[in-house]
Amino acid sequence: MLLFARFVLFRAVMAVLTLVIVSLIVFTLMEMVPGDCAERYLAFKNTQGSAISVEDIQAERVRLGLDKPFATRWVTWIVNAFQGEFGESCILRLNISRLLGEKFWISLGICITSLILAYLIALPVGIISATSNNALLNNSLRLVSYLGLALPNFLLALMIMLFSTLVFHNSLTGLFSKEFRDLAWSYDRVIDFLQHVWLPILILGWSATAFAIQTVRALMSDEIGKLYVTAAEARGVSGLRLLWHYPARHALGPIVNSLGFDLNRIFNELPVVALILTLTEAGSLLIEALARSNDQQLAGAIIFLLTGSIVVLNFLTDVLLAATDPRIRHSILR
Amino acid sequence: MNAAAARGPAIDQKRKEAYFTASQGQLIWARFKQQKAAMAGALVLATLILSGFFAPFLTPYDPTIAGRDKSYQNGAPQIPKFWDENGFSARPFIYSYERSRSIATNFRWVTQVRRDQRRYLSFLPEGDSYTFLGMKFNHHLFGVNRGQIHLFGTDSTGKDIFSRNFHAINTSLAVGTIGVLIAFVMALIIGGVSGFYGGWIDSILQMITDAIRTVPAIPLFMALAAFIPDVWSAEMRFFFISTILGLIGWPTLARRVRTHLLTERNQEYVLAARLCGASPGHIIRRHLLPSFTSYIIVDLVISFPYMVLSETALSFIGLGLKDPVNSLGVMLQNVTDADVLLNYQWYFIPVIFFITLVLAFVFVGDGLRDAADPYSETRK
Repeated sequence: MLLFARFVLFRAVMAVLTLVIVSLIVFTLMEMVPGDCAERYLAFKNTQGSAISVEDIQAERVRLGLDKPFATRWVTWIVNAFQGEFGESCILRLNISRLLGEKFWISLGICITSLILAYLIALPVGIISATSNNALLNNSLRLVSYLGLALPNFLLALMIMLFSTLVFHNSLTGLFSKEFRDLAWSYDRVIDFLQHVWLPILILGWSATAFAIQTVRALMSDEIGKLYVTAAEARGVSGLRLLWHYPARHALGPIVNSLGFDLNRIFNELPVVALILTLTEAGSLLIEALARSNDQQLAGAIIFLLTGSIVVLNFLTDVLLAATDPRIRHSILR
Repeated sequence: MNAAAARGPAIDQKRKEAYFTASQGQLIWARFKQQKAAMAGALVLATLILSGFFAPFLTPYDPTIAGRDKSYQNGAPQIPKFWDENGFSARPFIYSYERSRSIATNFRWVTQVRRDQRRYLSFLPEGDSYTFLGMKFNHHLFGVNRGQIHLFGTDSTGKDIFSRNFHAINTSLAVGTIGVLIAFVMALIIGGVSGFYGGWIDSILQMITDAIRTVPAIPLFMALAAFIPDVWSAEMRFFFISTILGLIGWPTLARRVRTHLLTERNQEYVLAARLCGASPGHIIRRHLLPSFTSYIIVDLVISFPYMVLSETALSFIGLGLKDPVNSLGVMLQNVTDADVLLNYQWYFIPVIFFITLVLAFVFVGDGLRDAADPYSETRK
């Protein structure tokens, strides 16, 4: 038990360290983008009609603390970031935490839900596909999982959009109806949200499901051929009990290990799918911040938040894995 | 009769001998050949790769703006025919067309097909010149005797979608190959070292891998897109994108290699090799890596379409490759237009090729997986 607590503590420290490394990468990249926040804001003001001089830019730099050395600014940024405080956006001049707040949680919620949905489908289907001798079932399941890879989420989104535009004259886009878009949360708004959110969840979960089926099937058919399964069968264990207690337990390790990666993949797909489905509430904000207005302060915050949620999930899966598989725990602590 | 009886066991003996002396590669090929789906996939894949490679010859026109057909913009696909109401022709033909726009058509270009004017297909005509394997050519596989032929239609600037499509396959495959190679080498080295040694080396490597792995690539890349100067040439962009894809792709594979090694390195055969005085590099290469070759192969072949997919997704949202270079993603850039969705659906033709390409890869990957697994026969 003490060993386990030590392991958890160790992993927690590692997770924080990972976040620090990530923040260093993200912060450095943000610095490398040509032009800093002061120039950008004043250039933006310039387009609005006010005249800007070099002194103005310098004064703005001092106000934002951009004249301080790199290390100082990074430490300030990371300390604030861990408290959930990302400063002001470069161009919109709004507090980033307030700007993102709800949008981030909605995005995260959608992604996690599609991940759960993916594994709810993939685990039984993958195991059945690996063990069943039914050629028809096997081949059709394999085809589905192949299609999930070959028809990526953004193409699926495009196809659904095309189909629904032509057939229902409703493109099924957005997360809220017009009348609920800017209201506070209420019962009706939740209902309206649920009526819209199923489509992005399904689309985002689609290729995650296909990929998970592929992984589960590959791992299970690797394990099923091994001798300990035959031995267990010889001892009279059979059916679901055999599958669940022997090969599935072994196959579960790499699967749990890859959950964080799956979330990463879903995050990768989110902006593209969001762009197609015009979910301005979720990922499209990323596109606005990252590509159009070059708002590095906002971009850094978004990437840090996304990465942070993956780190947390990785930490949880590592602990879960160690709890179920003592070999991993020992090999790391020894 | 005696001779026949003697020959039977002799053939049997020979087959056994061949089986026992076969190299690993021969065994894998023998098992691979037995799988129909994988063989079909391999055939399709080979066709696509070759048609991408020989695209300049196989397609009638230059895929860039230089080869555009000014008189046929946003034109529908033209399907060659052998006969119509005006009679039969041994040579396939397409119709001529006239394009006009006026207030009556709401100022949209409207194509009027002239069924009485035929254009006959010609074999090996001279056309746009192209460089292939360092030499200049100007013959293409097919063309028409007058005007141009557009099997898959044209886009808004009049570029031939058929020609662009096959050039795009080549580009997408090249990006994928470079990306996979970079990712593969890095993953093997880092994952192998990390999993084999364990302990603090593993912890440090894992921390770095974790950090890189956890950053979502596409959002990060979107942030970096502002960093790519507009003045970069198409080739620079191409290599930048491939390298980025490779650098992003390795941690996944590395982590899987490492997880497997962590459980495998405590097995008896590793201990035996170590007691015999084998060096760590030798143990990794000769004993540990072969123990999960199948796993690496599947991951590699599966990660290939993902490279193609990432490139397509990035180019699709306008952050990857750009116009003079043709990739499948570049070709899909404009399909979200309502105008395209409702009127010019042939813009979606590259999607079919994308799906076929990825499917072929996955079928081959799956077939290889089963073929590379030495226990797959005992199971069946």
